[in-house]
Amino acid sequence: MKITRLRVEQFRRFRQPFEIAGMDAGINLFAGPNEAGKSTLVAALRAAFFERYRSGAVEHLRPWDDPAASPEVDIEFELDGRHCRLNKRFLGRKRCTLQYGDRSLEGSEAEDFLAARLGFTHALRGASKAEDWGIPGLLWIEQGGAQEVGDAVTHATDHLRGALTASLGEVAGGDGDEVTAEVEKLRNELLTPASDKPRGAWLDAQQRCGRLADELARVDADLQACRQKVDRLAQLRGEQAADAAERPWETLRTQAAAARSALAEAQSMQTRVAVEREALDSLDARIDLLRRQLDALAGEQRSAEVREQALREARQVHDDALAAAAPWQREADAAQRRHDEARRVLAAVRMRDSHTAAQRERDELRARIAALQTTLAQAEAEQTRVLALQAAAAACEVRAADLAALRELAQQMRELDIRRAAVATRLRFALDDGRALHIGDEVFSGSGERLLSEATTVLLPGHGRLRIEPGGRDLAALAREGAQLADRHAARLLALGVASLDEAEARQKRHAGLQGESRAAAAALKVLAPQGVDALRVSHAALGGRLAELEKRLQAAPEHDDGTLPTLAHAESDEESAGRALTEATRRLSEARNRCAASEAALHAAHRESVAARARLDDPARRQQQDTAQAALVDAVSQRAVLAQRIDALLNELERVRPDALQQDVQRLERSAELLAHTQAQRRDDITRLEAELQAIGAQGLDERRAALARDLAAARRRQDELARRARALDLLLARLREKRQALTRRLQAPLQRHLNHYLGLLFPGAVVTLDEDLKPGPLRRDDGVPGRVDELSFGAREQMGVITRLACADLLQAAGRPTLIILDDALVHSDSERLARMKRVLFDAAQRHQILLFTCHPESWRDIGVRPRALSTA
Amino acid sequence: MLTILHTADWQIGRQYGQFEADEAALLAEARLAAVERLAALAHERRCDLVLVAGDVFDAQGIADKTVLRLFNALRGFAGPWVLLPGNHDAALAESVWTRALRLGAVPPHVHLCLSPQPLHLPAQSVVVLPAPLTQRHTYSDLTEWFDAQATPPDLFRLGLAHGAVQGVLAEDIDSANPIAADRAARARLDYLALGDWHGCRRIDDRCWYSGTPETDRFRNNDSGRALVVELECAGAPPRVEPVSTGRYRWRDEQRSLRVDSDVDALCDWLAALEPHEVVQLGIDGQVDLAGLNRVRDALNHARGRARAVLADVDRLCIEPTDADIAALAAEGYLGEVIADLRAAQQEADGEAARDALVLLAGLLDARRTGASR
Repeated sequence: MKITRLRVEQFRRFRQPFEIAGMDAGINLFAGPNEAGKSTLVAALRAAFFERYRSGAVEHLRPWDDPAASPEVDIEFELDGRHCRLNKRFLGRKRCTLQYGDRSLEGSEAEDFLAARLGFTHALRGASKAEDWGIPGLLWIEQGGAQEVGDAVTHATDHLRGALTASLGEVAGGDGDEVTAEVEKLRNELLTPASDKPRGAWLDAQQRCGRLADELARVDADLQACRQKVDRLAQLRGEQAADAAERPWETLRTQAAAARSALAEAQSMQTRVAVEREALDSLDARIDLLRRQLDALAGEQRSAEVREQALREARQVHDDALAAAAPWQREADAAQRRHDEARRVLAAVRMRDSHTAAQRERDELRARIAALQTTLAQAEAEQTRVLALQAAAAACEVRAADLAALRELAQQMRELDIRRAAVATRLRFALDDGRALHIGDEVFSGSGERLLSEATTVLLPGHGRLRIEPGGRDLAALAREGAQLADRHAARLLALGVASLDEAEARQKRHAGLQGESRAAAAALKVLAPQGVDALRVSHAALGGRLAELEKRLQAAPEHDDGTLPTLAHAESDEESAGRALTEATRRLSEARNRCAASEAALHAAHRESVAARARLDDPARRQQQDTAQAALVDAVSQRAVLAQRIDALLNELERVRPDALQQDVQRLERSAELLAHTQAQRRDDITRLEAELQAIGAQGLDERRAALARDLAAARRRQDELARRARALDLLLARLREKRQALTRRLQAPLQRHLNHYLGLLFPGAVVTLDEDLKPGPLRRDDGVPGRVDELSFGAREQMGVITRLACADLLQAAGRPTLIILDDALVHSDSERLARMKRVLFDAAQRHQILLFTCHPESWRDIGVRPRALSTA
Repeated sequence: MLTILHTADWQIGRQYGQFEADEAALLAEARLAAVERLAALAHERRCDLVLVAGDVFDAQGIADKTVLRLFNALRGFAGPWVLLPGNHDAALAESVWTRALRLGAVPPHVHLCLSPQPLHLPAQSVVVLPAPLTQRHTYSDLTEWFDAQATPPDLFRLGLAHGAVQGVLAEDIDSANPIAADRAARARLDYLALGDWHGCRRIDDRCWYSGTPETDRFRNNDSGRALVVELECAGAPPRVEPVSTGRYRWRDEQRSLRVDSDVDALCDWLAALEPHEVVQLGIDGQVDLAGLNRVRDALNHARGRARAVLADVDRLCIEPTDADIAALAAEGYLGEVIADLRAAQQEADGEAARDALVLLAGLLDARRTGASR
């Protein structure tokens, strides 16, 4: 396909008609700055082919300021060796005409014809989209989209494959993919896509089979159980019939009865033995009793003799005791006497010592009273003196505060005088001898001076008077102050009763001296009478009383010591040892007397018992009693021997009969009979129960149900097998279809790869690229041998790869007889100059076979592409 | 003269698992219908009694309803029916028979031989010596007691037994429940009526298997009969007449398809099937797609016409012709897949390949017809 002329009108920026004519079969370079209209031309080409002329979604084709415009594109081109012209008007006055050689086509027929020839589709609704563009989408490279070859190839794959089959001469294409999809869908209804597990109807059928098989197994088990029950019933009935005929329990019962009567016999024998034994026991008891009676009688005789002996012994003991008591009586009497003497001596000694002590005390008292007398006299004198001194001191007492105030006043008066003297007018005079001077009432002569503190009249005799008035008010004030002080001073003196300060001071000194004396006298008194003089007097009186009493006592008990008395300590010691001896003798005596009393009591008791025993022995009934008992004993012993013999005989008999074994026989036989009868009854119950169960089971129609289940299971299995077969067949079919499809794709790859490597050699000498299953460039090996992938290349390199991939596709399509047109809108702007130079070789090479429309805003970059650039400028 | 209707192996309650449910139900129903026809036959031929030689019921656990229906079916003949338990319905301690008695289903003119006791039928001048199975299987000859059993000389002496006559039937018959081949002679029987073998079969003049009155399997053994036996007098040789009683004809057919005319013949054969036929058909050989479609259509039609058709076409290879392929319009790699599958039919997993081929052909056919519509 080769475009020879392109004309647009009312199309975006071309409001006026714009035409490019005489386009070349190879490269056509359109150069112009941005906004010159390159993209508009590309858009016009795309719109002319991809958009339905009736489409309402092409508003963007209008000039922006002309809402009434009808965008129009008119293209003349060569297709399949025929001259063609496509004219398309959008929006306002919609129209589409196509001249294809001699053929004229209109409207969508024209559009569909071109779509089929060029290998694209129209959008079902709205504006045309990339997935509709097919082969032109691959070959017409949009601005900035050269590197994105993947999607473009995907959208074009079906067209490529369809277009290329002819060139391959293969049986390819057709409905293969659709059939494959349908088979896949059918297969996936029965098998899970990933794991090949049954699903859907097949799974249902399998599960139904499983359920039915389980149920069948259950029914089979029931049937088996039922059959066993039937067999059991037959067996039980047989046993029951045999039992009913033989009645074995009756034999056993007869045997049991015989054993029971033998047992009764043996038991009566046992009873007899028991009775005889009881008689024997009572006889034994009687013998025992009689023997004990005789023993008792003999015992009484022995007892009497024992008592006699005891009496003798007791008497001897009593006599001994009496003999032992006598010396202790004597010893006790002597001890009493010695003790009395010792006590008397002790009393005398104590009396003597008391008298002596009283005498000594009396003498001491007398001395103390005399001393106290003296002290008392001194104390009284001293007390009188203290009182006198205190009175004197009180009389001359001047209070220290008053004295201080007085001193203060005197001081103030002195100071005032000095101030007055300072202020006063000094009148110094030196009179001639004989001359006198009267100042006030005074008369002065000679020389001297005088301070005048107030207006003073000085009489100069013979001369008159001088009135001198000292200057200043202070003098007068000082005078007033002085007068006040003098008044206060005088008042103070008066209050103190003294004439002057000095006198006051003297009185104060005297007062202090008297007070000192008074305190010294008081201290002396304190020494003499610490508790006061009155206490001294009381002590004195008390001591006097005591003395009087002592003297009275001494007079009452005159001393009578003959000088033989021992000391007190000696006497006390004697008395104590005599007391101890007495106590010991008394105790011994008491003990001896106690022993005498005890032995006497024992003697009395022994005597009584001896008398009683003797009396019993002498009783005449006792003899008779003894004789009777002896006779009875002999009789009982002989009876016992007879009885014992009889019992032995019976026991021997019992040993032979074995009643315990008989008892067991009875139990065994009766239990067996009972067991048999019980077994029979049990069996009857079992039979009844089994019959009832079997009747119930029979009513269920188990065999018929089993047969129905088996039938259903067979049907379910058939269905399951059918589905399994279908699944297997679909799986196989799908696998085969995919295999073939892949094989076909691989066959398509080869020529495309060849073309691609042709260009690749120009771009990267020595490099080889491999196409993947979807015909996209995959692994790339460069001349440096390093493997890589196209999508890992730099942006510029990917762009270059994108362009050559598309060129390779164009070659392939052309080989298949399909129209090709290559448009590059500002492509390869990311290539460096070296690569761009190589790409120019590539493009130049491609232009030998295809028309290439190259739009650029960098015409200087394409100067060496070998064609003259066409400027895009609206006239 | 004594006229006996000899029948056996009714197998009431039998289910047919290999068929579809509706067909199986009809075939089961047919067994009861056959008994009704036997009653009508006995009546029509003025029989004195009917001997049923075992396996009246297919199993012990038959539903009460079915048991009641069976005894109801015996009303059509008022004379005595002598029923013998067989191996399927042995007279066990608890059996279908005890249940029937308990249900009160057994009418007075029906005699159950549940124990080996002579059955006197004075009105018919007959003593029947039965050999009922009281266990599922025995390995002793239950008819042995016939030899020693004395009967009044003027009465007909008839034997009734169920089992395998020794040394006569094929080896694969269960050798349990044996019966001496010369029992009729040794026991001086006028006639020994046997059951167990489903085909009608003569053992000797006085000893026959009647076979089942309604065929129940494809094995071709001359079944679907009953025997009318006539005895002039005691000791006279019997006259035995097999009478057809079966409704359904069971056919087992094998066909090999080699050429187109084989397909034609098969289609004709299928088209000729009748409503009372039960067919098992095995097809092998090879056929093209068109032929396959024809066979399928013919089978579908036959299923509508005959009672039941079981067809096994698994061994049939599909050999699409070039015309077939062209007709399928299988373009691109589809054609290769078809070729591969054709070849793979002969290989180990040929069945799957064949199925896949048929499936693909079906899909393509549907697309083509869809497209043409």
